[in-house]
Amino acid sequence: MPEINWWCVALDKPWSWQWIAYPGIWVASIAPMVVYTVAVRRHGSVDWRKARFFYAGMIVFWIASDWPLGTLGAGYMASAHMVQFLLYTLGAAPLLMLGTPEWMARGILDRLRLTKAIEWLGGNYLVCALLYNGILMATHAPGTVEVLRRNQLGSAFMDVVWVLAGIVLWLPVISPLGRRVAAPWGRMAYLFVATAVIAIVPASFLTFATTPVYAIYELAPRVTSLSAREDQQLAGIIMKLATIPVVWTTIAVMWFRWARHEEQAEEKAEVTA
Amino acid sequence: MNVVRHRALILALISVLAVAACRAPVTTDQLQGVKVENPTPKPEFTLTDTEGSPYDFAEETEGKVALLYFGYTSCPDICPTHMAQIAEVLEQYPQLEREVEVVFVTVDPERDTPERLRQYLDSFHPSFVGLTGTPEELEAAQRAANVPVATFDGEGPDYTVNHAAYVIAYAPDGLSHSIYPFGTRQAQWNNDLRVLAEMG
Repeated sequence: MPEINWWCVALDKPWSWQWIAYPGIWVASIAPMVVYTVAVRRHGSVDWRKARFFYAGMIVFWIASDWPLGTLGAGYMASAHMVQFLLYTLGAAPLLMLGTPEWMARGILDRLRLTKAIEWLGGNYLVCALLYNGILMATHAPGTVEVLRRNQLGSAFMDVVWVLAGIVLWLPVISPLGRRVAAPWGRMAYLFVATAVIAIVPASFLTFATTPVYAIYELAPRVTSLSAREDQQLAGIIMKLATIPVVWTTIAVMWFRWARHEEQAEEKAEVTA
Repeated sequence: MNVVRHRALILALISVLAVAACRAPVTTDQLQGVKVENPTPKPEFTLTDTEGSPYDFAEETEGKVALLYFGYTSCPDICPTHMAQIAEVLEQYPQLEREVEVVFVTVDPERDTPERLRQYLDSFHPSFVGLTGTPEELEAAQRAANVPVATFDGEGPDYTVNHAAYVIAYAPDGLSHSIYPFGTRQAQWNNDLRVLAEMG
């Protein structure tokens, strides 16, 4: 009986465009959607706009985890590893949060006895920024990548941790619990600092290192004409630049919403006066 | 105060992680490859290069760091990785290029025509020397270099070759001081090529 691959790991063979099935990833991608659909139907009023966000988040999770991106990121290309990280943290996580109704978030967190902790975390920008960047650093350290990407459990753990890191990052901005402590400009500043400032350190190191940092990608058979060092430089550039469109679009949306809100408040005040 | 301390601790932890993540490769004056206990002299053999000219390995590489490898161009993983690793280091440090001669001896002369061998090596680095010969000459070269003689597995055109999967490095003093198995990092090559070049 052939060995089943449940989750993407580093493979000790040349890259091939031959499809590989990862049933563990399918289950992890489909099961939450089924549970979500059943839960919102049972709850009564279904907000399909929210549901679309949730399904989109799970689809992004699936794309980032499954073949080919998952396989490439697990053992062949540092740049694919970085794309995965960004899809989880800047794609899947915020979409899942936008798609989770407050009653559902509270239900899950109450059951886990985590509601207060998450509410506290959502109001503590510095802790969220440090936690997100701490996870970023730890999961991009060569030793961590080398150990976790060599086995299916470790690899799945890393992917899930990245989604959780994304949730921590977005918690002060789009928490499903609905609590926002700081003013919009504070949230905008937070998002910029948390995603762009600390990440410059590992991103610059990847871009300017004289030799490849990750053994797993350095010694993997080449997939493209990019050398191991060029692939790593690309990973560094992706880490630095790919956050820009997502983060700045979000900041722009927040800015315009804030401006509109202020305008409406002024108009209301004038009418009252 | 406690909050400040708490945050400072987290910041310190992140800094440590950042430093750990960004650790630069350490260069030393010691060889980082697998050291050869009793360094052996350069093997004496003459094969044919990709231009069809005779190539006396010991004579042509005299006074240089010679990296000798027995492989084949259809090799799916180990051979291309070794070649790519060395090529990347040489490309990055052109001063090493003048001091290092990389010699790839095919163990699969049937498929590895001189043209194919040249094309294969050029895809890594144009300075790499490709050698071929008759099966008997190639076997003699492997014995002279003290590596296991390659064997063939499978039938038809897609047969595989079992061969020595390490690079033997000869310093300019004509002795092999270290070998480099699959898994040798570029940082190690970068270090060792400099160390070997100074073993004049």
